Amino acid sequence: MASVDVALATISFKRKIAYKTTWIFSVLFGGWSLLAGLAVWNNLIGDGELGGYDWQSMKAYLIIGFLTSTLAWAGSDWEMANRILDGHVAVDLTKPVDFQRARAAEYIGGMTAAVPAAILGTTAAVLIFQPAPPASALAAALTALSVLFIFPLAFCINYLSVLACFVTQRYLGVQWARDCFLAFFSGMMVPLALMPVWLQGVAWGLPFVHFTTTPASIYLGRVDTAGALGLIAVEAAWAVGLWIGARLIWNQLVKKVTVHGG
Amino acid sequence: MADTIARDRSLTARHVGGVYGRALVAQIRAITEYPADFWVMASAGVMWNLLQFAFLTVLFATVPDVAGWSYHEMLLLSGLLSVAAGSTALLCDGVWSTGQMVLKGEIDYRMTRPAPVVVQVATTHIGMQGFGEVAFGLVMAVYGWIGAGLGLAAAPVGVLALVCAVVIECALVTAFCAVNFWIKGPMSNFAFMLIDLQNSAMTMPLGLFPSGVRIVTMFVVPVAFVNFVPVAVLTGHLSGWWLVGTPLAALAALLAAVGVFRLGLRSYDSAGH
Repeated sequence: MASVDVALATISFKRKIAYKTTWIFSVLFGGWSLLAGLAVWNNLIGDGELGGYDWQSMKAYLIIGFLTSTLAWAGSDWEMANRILDGHVAVDLTKPVDFQRARAAEYIGGMTAAVPAAILGTTAAVLIFQPAPPASALAAALTALSVLFIFPLAFCINYLSVLACFVTQRYLGVQWARDCFLAFFSGMMVPLALMPVWLQGVAWGLPFVHFTTTPASIYLGRVDTAGALGLIAVEAAWAVGLWIGARLIWNQLVKKVTVHGG
Repeated sequence: MADTIARDRSLTARHVGGVYGRALVAQIRAITEYPADFWVMASAGVMWNLLQFAFLTVLFATVPDVAGWSYHEMLLLSGLLSVAAGSTALLCDGVWSTGQMVLKGEIDYRMTRPAPVVVQVATTHIGMQGFGEVAFGLVMAVYGWIGAGLGLAAAPVGVLALVCAVVIECALVTAFCAVNFWIKGPMSNFAFMLIDLQNSAMTMPLGLFPSGVRIVTMFVVPVAFVNFVPVAVLTGHLSGWWLVGTPLAALAALLAAVGVFRLGLRSYDSAGH
């Protein structure tokens, strides 16, 4: 990692920390969704189980969803979008820094700023709600590893959605559509186990599933060690594939940039 | 600042309506210049609702009801919320930029113009995802309406609910975005939190949540009157008397939005001063 990447990540980190209310709200958003999810699934599951989840494991599932979504949505996607929407991207093209790599550094820096808050919120949720423990110590370690892959995956998915700003005038609608897509296909809204088989197939064919279902499945022992390693390998493959795909799309969309009409 | 507010008072409703209408028409004219933008954003709005529809369909394939609410009743709940949320994108999407404008001092020249600042800010954009949201939200609501066995006799209540839902949603989003006059930041976090609250809780029967949530959503931040209360009345989960609260909530939300924005303008001190 070059020093310029670290510098950009640090600036983004400091910018996030500077806006303390934004920082606090990143936890509150997820916290509210977690509480709402707990109320709904408590009512639905009761003393039984749904899709192989009893109440204890569903609590663990929802808390993992809270942790991953707090991290995934803490990056600086708006800053990226605004660079394209207000034309700063034209200035970026003149800089001796790769646009995608620079934005990745900034995004990861922003996500890092949310780590303390995410850990604090998760610890509080674990202490208050007492979810099911991890299937084993190895499962806990592999869960942590799978969560780490959310950093590059979140950047790539956000970056790809931000590239839509080359053909749109606003980012808000794109952001909400992406977030909803992520919430549904990650299994945050409803676990994949409850979906019909064909929809589960679609979800497993998309990268979003690794934001909740993959870490939760590893944590709860719904996949064995080989399966967990396989899922982590798929996460890595998605991170690489999306990075390359984003570069190809950028190469096409950047042709839309015109500076002073010429 | 006081001069501006005094001048605002002297503006007639007709003039304000005219400015609002012309500004929106100008935005719509701009949309026609960017057809790709329109289709991308409208599709995004549809996608968002399609996934909510899919969520409910998947859920009800597993459970027969949620806290006594059927599939079609909950579709109506989600549909009405989508129409209200989509309408804010079409009618006052610019309020989401309040925080940015305050930070950059962009409210300055809007205060010198002979039109209310809130109207000028609200009409700086149209969120084109709103077209998809409103269209698919109406589809969901109508499908839920028919499936829940509601006939044409209940249509006047439905229309009242729809109008009040749009007013409450627009007013609350405006008021929550105006919080950025005091809590400086580029993001409208309070408004995002409002939407988050609605998407998490108001697409579900309120009976699932603790009494504190019910009290807050009905009497503090009246988001329950956007969709839950009218749908609960229509489907017989609540007494008809609750419907009286819907226009009252709309009026209260509207007054609160105007009041908060005006107070915000009083405390506005431009950028860096």
